[in-house]
Order: sequence, then structure tokens, then C-alpha cells
Amino acid sequence: MEDLATAAASQKKAKSLIRRFGLAFIFVIAALIPELFVVKHFFPYPFLFLFFGAVMASAWFGGMTAGLFAVVLSILAVDYLFIPPLNSFVINAAAGIYLAAFVVCALVASWVSSSKKKSEEALKETRDQLEMLVTERTSALMKTEAELARLSRILSMGELTASIAHEIKQPLTALVTNGHACLEWLSASPPNLEKARQTAERIIQDGTRAGTVLSRIRALFKKEPPAKDWLDMNEVIQELMVLLRAESQRLHVSMRTELTHSLPKVKGDRVQLQQVVLNLMMNGIDAMTSMNGLSKELVVRSWKQSANEIGVGIEDNGVGLSAEITEKIFDPFFTTKSQGIGMGLSISRSIIESHEGKLWASARPSGGTIFQFTVPIQSQDSNG
Amino acid sequence: MDSSKPSVFIVDDDASVRDAISNLLESVGLQAETFGSADEFMAARRANAHGCLVLDVMLPGTRGLEFQEVLKQAGITIPIIFITAHGDIPMTSKAMRAGAIEFLAKPFPKEDLLAAIHRGLKLDSVKREERAEIAALQACFAELTPREREVMDLVVTGMINKQIAGQLGISEVTVKIHRRQVMEKMKADSLADLVRMSDKIKAGVRH
Repeated sequence: MEDLATAAASQKKAKSLIRRFGLAFIFVIAALIPELFVVKHFFPYPFLFLFFGAVMASAWFGGMTAGLFAVVLSILAVDYLFIPPLNSFVINAAAGIYLAAFVVCALVASWVSSSKKKSEEALKETRDQLEMLVTERTSALMKTEAELARLSRILSMGELTASIAHEIKQPLTALVTNGHACLEWLSASPPNLEKARQTAERIIQDGTRAGTVLSRIRALFKKEPPAKDWLDMNEVIQELMVLLRAESQRLHVSMRTELTHSLPKVKGDRVQLQQVVLNLMMNGIDAMTSMNGLSKELVVRSWKQSANEIGVGIEDNGVGLSAEITEKIFDPFFTTKSQGIGMGLSISRSIIESHEGKLWASARPSGGTIFQFTVPIQSQDSNG
Repeated sequence: MDSSKPSVFIVDDDASVRDAISNLLESVGLQAETFGSADEFMAARRANAHGCLVLDVMLPGTRGLEFQEVLKQAGITIPIIFITAHGDIPMTSKAMRAGAIEFLAKPFPKEDLLAAIHRGLKLDSVKREERAEIAALQACFAELTPREREVMDLVVTGMINKQIAGQLGISEVTVKIHRRQVMEKMKADSLADLVRMSDKIKAGVRH
């Protein structure tokens, strides 16, 4: 087996050597023919530059060996055909210097060409390796980015714990209280069955409501690969309004929506888009918490931007952004908050860009900031 | 609604919570009224009604603790039981310092809520009786002549008639007559009784 492999390898090597020598031979002949033509028809002094060309070409395509072979062939051809006495390999002293100069030039040409080729090949190889590395790293990065997005989601959910707890405690309170009431109605004498029945129905409603809140929160935490689906942005916004209600009340921020009805659905990842809106809403609320006395208002709007795009805007009347900061806020790790990691907006932008939309910030004319993003409405036939 | 019976006023922005509490109170025979916000409660002019208030801390608009302050400023003394799904210690202590009956974290045990409500209603009726008594005393006090009031003020400090006569520059006999008038008009049985009344009137004026 090994012998066979070695034989095959040496056979391959021989083949490549023949190919290289053949190549050198062809190049030299290709130089020789026009040289002879020129000498015969135009002027008798041999201009031997074409041979340098042949040597360089051979060294380029066949490497150093082929280059040297072309040098030898060229010397023989030059000596035999162009250096007097013609048609003989005899060299006189004067012609010897001329030939020596030619030999030196040819050797230099061969060396320059082959080493240039070699360095170029080395460069190409490095570049290929680099490209592979970049591809590898990019996919690793994408994975990290997805994980980071999830972590940042969990972080913002962490900030929302109080609000979430509130949203669950409300229906639970109603449920427990109605449970007690139901027992009271039943243990009255005579038992008030009609009231007990009504109360039991309320208990079911309260339980269902608590369940809905929980499953909505669970959806935000889920570790699932991004999946695009048809979704209604208004619905996404309204779910978040419920989730943030207690938090905004705690911070004395009033929230309202101005949603365009019958907004066309967009194809997108619900969890990711919800994360963007959540991020922007929480940023808006944060921007207002340091203000004293003024009324704090967060407005979430949706509209049809054009025939093939919808827009969503989150407005606050908070501290606002200076022009130079507006450029930087989307940079990773840029933050103006004492407790932020500075990834929220950068992640939001990359999410919107992965949905082929745009996210930008601008100053609100009456003070504060507007964050806006667009998401394209994909045509129905692209729904594969 | 029976206005002679005390009511429990429930103010919570969450309809299911306030309805559940109202349902529970109704099931144990208490009268309840529900409101979605402090402003709604004020608009219904129930602040001076007979009863107590179950107030959510995290209300939209005027917030629970602010509302407690507003009521206090307005001299409305309805007892308040706070309920909250947020509750933290600073909030609790602030509410209690400001005179809340109880601070309950949602979801709360039925017994705690009912006990607090009963305490609130009791306190309200005691306060109401007290206020009625003070009002009656003030009405009597208004009947006194300026001289009689002077005499009463000195009598309750423990001075004897002779001292009072000296202080006011009148005869001891005149003091005696004024004193008898005061006791009669104030419907006081004894000097101790009169002292107690005087304190109440002064306390009532202060409030």
C-alpha cells in the first residue's frame, strides 16, 4: 500500500516535472520564433528580450526548476542561432562577455519571477487560512450574539421582576379573595348558590388571567432559535404595555399608545421584535426617571410608513440626547446609565437590521427623544 | 345603599381585585363600594361618609400615599387600609406613620383584611362619636357669655372662687353666680367633668 502510494506520488512528481519542462520549452520556442523573424527581416542585431520573457514566464508558471531549464534552453538557442559564428556552439571572446551578460540577466529574471510567484502563493495561502478563520469566527460570533440577546432580554426582565410580580399578584389576589367569598356564600344559611356560582366563574377568569400573564413572560424567556412568523406589531406593543404597566406606575410615568388600526402584518421573530420594543420602552422610561416635577409620558405609536413598510415609534419627554451622543448610542458597550451594559440598543439595531428594517433615534421637537424603526411588509407570496 | 350603615370603600385600579374584595365583604354582610381611582372616589363625595377605605398603593393619577396626605390635609379622618402588590418596607412605614390602620401585601389572607376592616370601622365610629360629642360641647360653649367663658377658663385651671374674683376684679358672689351658670349651660355634673369638657373643646379647636 505504502509502496504504491510512494510510486503514485513519484509518478505524479515526474509528471509535473515533465509538464514544467514542457512549459519552459514551449515558452522558449514562442520567444525564439519572433526573434528569428525580427533578425531575418528587420535588423541583424539580436534583441534577446523575448527570451527573458520566456524565462520569467517559465519561472512563474513552473517554478525555479522550469525557470533554470528555460535559461539553459535560451542560452543554447542564443549561442547557436544569434551569436557569431552562427549555427555553431563555438564562442569567441567578445561574444563570451555578451553571452555572459545574457546569462546573468536570464538567471536574475528567473530568480525574481519564481520568488515573486512563491511569495504570492504564500500570501494566497495565508489569505485562504484567514478567510476560513473569519468564517469560523463569524459563525461563533453569531451564536454568541444570539445568546447575548437572550441574556440582555433576561437582564431587562430582571429589571422588570417587580412589574411582573405585580401583574401576577393582581389576578392571584382576586382569585384568593373570590375563593374566600365563595366559601362564605356556600356556608351562609341558607347557602347563596347563585352568588357562589358567580364567584366560582370569577375565580376561573382570574386563574386564566394569571396563566396568560405567565405564558406571555415565558415566551420572552424562551431559548429558541429565531423563527419568523406573521405577526401583528400592535399586538406585540399591547402585550408589553400590560407588562410594563406596574413598572411605569411605580416610576410615575404615564404610558399611552397611538396605534394605527388594521396595520398589515409583518414577518418577523416575535420574541426578538418584542425585545426591541421592550428595550426602547424601558430606555424611554429610564430617560425620564431623573426628572422631577414634570409630567412624564411615554407614547408608543405605529403607522404604515409606505406601501411596503410599517413604522413603530417610542417617544419620551425625558432628558434627551445631544447630537454627538445620538451617533454613539447604537455602539456596543456605550451607555449613559450607571447600571447598564450598553448592549440594548446595539442588539436592538442588529435585530431590526436582520429583519431588513432600520432603527434610528432623533430629538423630539418638544423635548425628549424619539426612537423609530421600520419593518418591511413582505408580500404574501414570499410566505413559504 | 343604606347610608346609615357604615361602608367599606375600595379604591383599586384593577377591576377584578376590587370586585373580588367587594364580593368577599358582601358575603360576610358588609356594605362595599368600589372605585377605580382616588379621583373617582373624591368625585363621588364619599370621603366624609361613614366607614373605612381600602386603598391600593399603586394607583394611576393620585397615588395611594399621596391620597392619604390629601385626605389628611383636608381634615378627612376616614381610616385607611393599604393594599399593594409592590409593598416595600419604606413605603409601609411611611403609610403607617401617616396613620394607616394596616398595610397588606397582595394576596392577603382573608382574616387579615377583615380584621383590619373591622378595626377601621370601629375606629371610625369611635371618632365619629367623639366628633359628635365635641360638636355638642362646642354648641354649649357658644351659649356662654364672654364673662362666663373667662370664669370657666380660670375654674378649670384649679383656682378657687376667691382667686378668680381677684384675678377678674369682681366680687366672689358674682363669680359664684357665673360659675353656676357655666355648670348649667355646659351640662357638667362636677368640676372634673367640666375640666374634661374644656380639654375636649380645646382639642377639637386644635384639630
